[in-house]
Amino acid sequence: MRGFIAFSKKEITENIRNYRLLIMLAIFLIFGLMSPLLAKFTPQLMEALMPNLAEAFENPTALDSWTQFYKNVSSLGLSLTIILFSSCLSGEYAKGTLTIMLTKGLSRPAVVLSKFSAAAVILTVSYWLAFGVTYGYTAYLWPGASLPHVFLAAFALWTAGLLYLSILMLGCVLFRQAFTSILFLLVVTVIMGLVEQIEQTAGYSPVILVSKNIDLLSGTVTASYFTIPFIVSIFTSAALLIMSIVVFNKKQL
Amino acid sequence: MKDVLSIKGLSKSFGTQKVIDNLDLSVPEGTIFGFIGQNGAGKTTTMKMTLGLLEADGGEITVCGEAVRYGQTKNNHHIGYLPDVPEFYNYMKPLEYLALCGEIAGLSKSNTKDRSDELLSLVGLNGVKKRIGGFSRGMKQRLGIAQALLSRPKLLICDEPTSALDPVGRKEILDILQKIKGTTTVIFSTHILSDVERICDRVAVLHNGNIAISGTLSEIKTMHGKERLLLEFSQKSEVSQFKACEKIKPLLSQTEESGTEIILQGKDIVHIQRVVISVLAETGLCPSKMEIMESSLENLFLEVVM
Repeated sequence: MRGFIAFSKKEITENIRNYRLLIMLAIFLIFGLMSPLLAKFTPQLMEALMPNLAEAFENPTALDSWTQFYKNVSSLGLSLTIILFSSCLSGEYAKGTLTIMLTKGLSRPAVVLSKFSAAAVILTVSYWLAFGVTYGYTAYLWPGASLPHVFLAAFALWTAGLLYLSILMLGCVLFRQAFTSILFLLVVTVIMGLVEQIEQTAGYSPVILVSKNIDLLSGTVTASYFTIPFIVSIFTSAALLIMSIVVFNKKQL
Repeated sequence: MKDVLSIKGLSKSFGTQKVIDNLDLSVPEGTIFGFIGQNGAGKTTTMKMTLGLLEADGGEITVCGEAVRYGQTKNNHHIGYLPDVPEFYNYMKPLEYLALCGEIAGLSKSNTKDRSDELLSLVGLNGVKKRIGGFSRGMKQRLGIAQALLSRPKLLICDEPTSALDPVGRKEILDILQKIKGTTTVIFSTHILSDVERICDRVAVLHNGNIAISGTLSEIKTMHGKERLLLEFSQKSEVSQFKACEKIKPLLSQTEESGTEIILQGKDIVHIQRVVISVLAETGLCPSKMEIMESSLENLFLEVVM
């Protein structure tokens, strides 16, 4: 526990000093601001650029604002997060900075858990910052608009974000290079997508947590549709973290 | 004397290559122990297994009476480790780094602070406020010693601490190691033999995965060293004339010859001297120089590894 706290503090310091935290906050803040604005001003933009298509974009609603939000965050936002944190262990392997830490009595599980916790905390802060900004702005631009399950939809994407981080963690522990860890994450994501395509397992995959948020807001799917993917996602994350620890314990440094 | 480190029957292979083969080694308390071997002899491998960073294929390692287990870093509080090229977090300042080390090792904040100040002045880094990223290799090596000594370990393991340094840096590191000799046992791997002769009490030569020779420096020199007698003549023809003598022939099995010089080797130097002097007297040859060459660690080392 002592090692975990000390190393987590080091992780946070590292993320501040190598500007990862700043980049994350900036990116997510931009998404938070941009999503409602884009939704609001798309009709004007379209009218100016492509007048014959403008009709399709008339009368944007709060739902359009959230559509922008989920589109931006689930694709670009999460991708950038993954890219930023993919080097969290490879750098330490390559330089050999962990050796001294481990010889000081730092336990290996503490290394994995600290890395994950720091990434999770930074993602959480940045993500909910973006959510808060979009929420406030949407309420301001479309007063009186009320959508169902606004928080639940956001919570779903956040859970999926943490799942992606734990997949990345296992990738980082398994492979020495950041690029390979990202590749590993891509493979797992594709598998999760395929699980959703197979008839027998449709409705179980955590992919739902990143793809059906808008359907939840528009009322196309009900909240209960998210229950199983939620549970699957949380258990998978926990299992992946345990696997990461087990693999890392055996890794020769 | 109690042994701080004892290794019994240690083996390690990488793939099909056997790096360490049934190695036995013990390091008594309070010594500076020179661990010598060629590049790739397995010095670092042995040290990493001692720290629990690498898994041994077989054998037993005990540090201060506690068995070392791979992946477990529990008994590392007895050990301070200085890697061959110590790497730190570049964005930290030396005091911050030592504070992190202290926190991980479980030292109290005030204890860490006092000890850090003390060690940074020992290694000559006190008052250095810049980030580690801007450090020279020598400075990193010195910070490496400071972090290794932070929790007052009983054993300090240094992996080639001087190999990459310039003469000034090397001297500084050796001086620091000499300073801490009273309180900490030091294992010091290297292939720079003059460093070993300068500070080590005991040495072990690692060759073919095993300890080829070990003991105190003087023990090794008397036990394994061959003494050498150098003769220098003024002309080459005199050398061949000298070699042609019947009495000298039995001594010629291990000679080195270059130009007008000839070096005779053997276990019993007095006997060699007697023979040579009588031959010189009989033939009337007069060498311009005759000298007993002390056996150096370098000769010994070469003899073992060649």
